[in-house]
Amino acid sequence: MSLSRYALRRLLFGAVQVLAVVTAVFLMVHALPGDAAVALAGDDPDPDRVEVIRRALGLDRPVLERFGEWLWGLARLDFGASVVSGRPVADTLVAALGPTVVLAVLTLVLLVPLAVAAGVAGALREGGPLDRALTSVTVGLHSIPEFALAIVLVAVFGVGLGWLPPTAVGVDVLAEPAVLVLPLVVLLARPLCSISRLVRAGMLDALASDYVRHARRLGVPPGRVRFAHALPNALAPAVQQVARTTDWLLGGVIVVEAVFVIPGLGTVLVDAVAARDLPVVQGLAVVFAVTTIAVNLLADLVAFRLAPRAAA
Amino acid sequence: MRRVRPAAVLMVAVPLLLALVGPWLVPAEQARTAPFLPDGLLGTDFVGRDTWYQVLDGGRSVVLVALAATALAYAVGVPWGVTAATARLRIVDEVLMRPLDLLLAVPSLLLLIVLATVAGPGVAVLVGIVALIAFPDVARIARAAALEIGGRPALEAMRMQGESWWRTSVVYMGRSMARPLAADAGVRLTSSLYLVASASFLGVGVPPDAADWAVMVDRNRTGLFLQPWAVVVPAVLIIALSVGLNLLFDRALRKEPR
Repeated sequence: MSLSRYALRRLLFGAVQVLAVVTAVFLMVHALPGDAAVALAGDDPDPDRVEVIRRALGLDRPVLERFGEWLWGLARLDFGASVVSGRPVADTLVAALGPTVVLAVLTLVLLVPLAVAAGVAGALREGGPLDRALTSVTVGLHSIPEFALAIVLVAVFGVGLGWLPPTAVGVDVLAEPAVLVLPLVVLLARPLCSISRLVRAGMLDALASDYVRHARRLGVPPGRVRFAHALPNALAPAVQQVARTTDWLLGGVIVVEAVFVIPGLGTVLVDAVAARDLPVVQGLAVVFAVTTIAVNLLADLVAFRLAPRAAA
Repeated sequence: MRRVRPAAVLMVAVPLLLALVGPWLVPAEQARTAPFLPDGLLGTDFVGRDTWYQVLDGGRSVVLVALAATALAYAVGVPWGVTAATARLRIVDEVLMRPLDLLLAVPSLLLLIVLATVAGPGVAVLVGIVALIAFPDVARIARAAALEIGGRPALEAMRMQGESWWRTSVVYMGRSMARPLAADAGVRLTSSLYLVASASFLGVGVPPDAADWAVMVDRNRTGLFLQPWAVVVPAVLIIALSVGLNLLFDRALRKEPR
């Protein structure tokens, strides 16, 4: 299959995914049994408040009309207004976008070279002390909950030793980059483990393969065999895993922002959940889900380019 | 083959023992004092309860919810995957498996938070949601395993001999699938543990003053400078359980003959 045909097929599937997610987020609120407005108004529903929420959510109109409006609004990046503050959801999201993007981009920028270096280092000396140590650490840390790791690191380095600031309250991130050290370490822990293991496994497979043996017999220099022939094939599954870790990264960002008090999208989500502000939750769900789908799509295309036969 | 490391066993045993036996060691009557005092073994928590008793009491919910959710995910996912794999009509396979691809596309913690917001709090809800998030992976693995087994000559021979559906599809297949499924169970359990703990920490699906390790970490954070044990002890217990389970399952997997 050519790259363009594969891309077209993958794009179509991505579009279906986006449409399905958007519909699901809509149904979540509007097709629930019972009255969402009463549920949202809290333990002691005040009729006025119920009415305000009902109008804000459009619950007084037919479902299909609301669905059309929801889709049309999304197309224009209009997510409706918050039930709590009355501000447009889009404004809230844009205001909180900065810190989350900074965290995510920094994590990815550090993640890829570190994971590839660790995986390749392990694979080149399979069974050696470095490989065994890396394997133990990556296996152990693989599914550690971020909040627990974060809080222990804060207790040790922030409170106990006093080397790093324990939270980011009232600090300008750009003026004092030290506040980002602990959040980044926490965010890197889980994806780093899974990706370096995949790179290691892929590299071991590639190094043991026939074409690498053939290249060696032809007298291709070892460095070129490892990095120009073996590595690209080892990277294809890892690229897809990088995309899959956007899922974790996102979960991690939500938790890390809560622990370190960083005013990003994760904090907005947790606050909106606590206040049961459904339009904001809906908007965030759409933004996060679409981002994940887009990243996965991109990664599948990159993986296809690296190793076309793998994506049958 | 290498021996099981005692460190990994210890890391699992201590939190597990505390979680399962702990609740019986807590006295019914507890005095409340001021928050974050250095009284007792580990001091007091954010509302003046004894931290040690909270630690004893707080493991059960995390461990049991993770176990129940994993069990539920298998109870639904395995028949689901097997049905998809053994269906005569291809359309059944598609109808069963395609929606799971969509489910897998949504970030799991986000899905959990959003569903829990709409469904309201409660242990049963939390178990259901975590199981819902875990089951697509289980179904996929079960389907892959069933497809491989379904093509074996042994099964074909049994079918030609006119063995009943029960003996071919349930007895033979169940026995052959046990191994690949068990190999995967460790990963499912640790990821359920991760989801349950993270959700509880964010205050999703649990009451705010629940005796729960993850909730303790969240609530006692304000006293980190005064009484770090109330935060660090439950956090370390969760980490130990998660790391220990990973190491143990990984070790058990590598012993499997290839």
